Amino acid sequence: MNNPIKVLLVDDEEEFVTTLAERLEMREFEPRIATSGDQAISMVEGEKFDLIVLDLMMPGIGGLEVMKQIKSANPDMPVILLTGQGSTKEGMAGMHQGAFDFLMKPLDIEELISQIHEALGKQSS
Amino acid sequence: MNPETEKTLAFFGRMTANLTHEFKNILAIIQESAGLMEDIMAISPLAKDKYQERFNNSMNTIKNQLQRGMELATRFNRFAHTPDHSRAELELAETMVHFCTLTERFARLKHISLQAGNQQGQEIKITTNPLLLYMVLFYSLDACLSVLPAQCEIRLIPVQKDENVAVEIACSGKQAPSAEDFFTSLRQSSIWADLENAAEQLNAELKCNTDDLRFYLILK
Repeated sequence: MNNPIKVLLVDDEEEFVTTLAERLEMREFEPRIATSGDQAISMVEGEKFDLIVLDLMMPGIGGLEVMKQIKSANPDMPVILLTGQGSTKEGMAGMHQGAFDFLMKPLDIEELISQIHEALGKQSS
Repeated sequence: MNPETEKTLAFFGRMTANLTHEFKNILAIIQESAGLMEDIMAISPLAKDKYQERFNNSMNTIKNQLQRGMELATRFNRFAHTPDHSRAELELAETMVHFCTLTERFARLKHISLQAGNQQGQEIKITTNPLLLYMVLFYSLDACLSVLPAQCEIRLIPVQKDENVAVEIACSGKQAPSAEDFFTSLRQSSIWADLENAAEQLNAELKCNTDDLRFYLILK
């Protein structure tokens, strides 16, 4: 049996992120949760993740800055951004800065899973 | 388009973007909670008992988020009607609660607490231009957020000041700057110029209390 994919989910909306984690766990993923940018950065320093799902707009350090800091130490870490904005502008800006892709909220979990597999497949190829 | 109209549209744009972002967060939570319930229902009947509590929790989350969404939609609708009348009677304490609910996310994104206070516990009514009042309050908040560090607090308190009615904008916090630095930074920010212009249009006066981090919007 393959090792489960270890995903760090980062979003300040705690109910959203805990429920998403439960749903991913039911689909054989190994999710971890961070509810702030600071927490995410410190978790990545202490633990190894296969991929990060990161909200763009959070209190304190925003998603793009979190991604920049994480990628400075882990340049190959795939990051999928989440955005609650109505336009794709912020998501596109994130892709220019190294995100694999971005998804709009509310989320389609099957689309997220497909993106995760695609990001990890691209990384290993 | 004249500069005043541009400023008003920009203000409405920021408020709308902020609130629709909050709606999307609410919908995202509802979507995941409903999805989790669907996942549980899809499990074999034998496993369902194990998830009964989680199923009920998801149901409660959906109800709570619907409540949150309804409250926000109601307040947003009320805000959208502020340009309907150039003058209307407002109760200030209630107006502060309304304004703080609509703008709390701006403060939250900077880890700053925003509260509506009602120190005197009395009804203070004023007839004014509702849209301009909201704009002035917004610029006041925006100016404070631009100079305060995280973990500070901003309170909007209606007060009866001498013959006039006023809103006290009181900032505090362990990491807050000195009153001198606070007011120097405020006055240097471009938002302060917007605030002064909007206050003038409202026929209101800005009065700074340079002993601490408080200023007053005196409504005439």
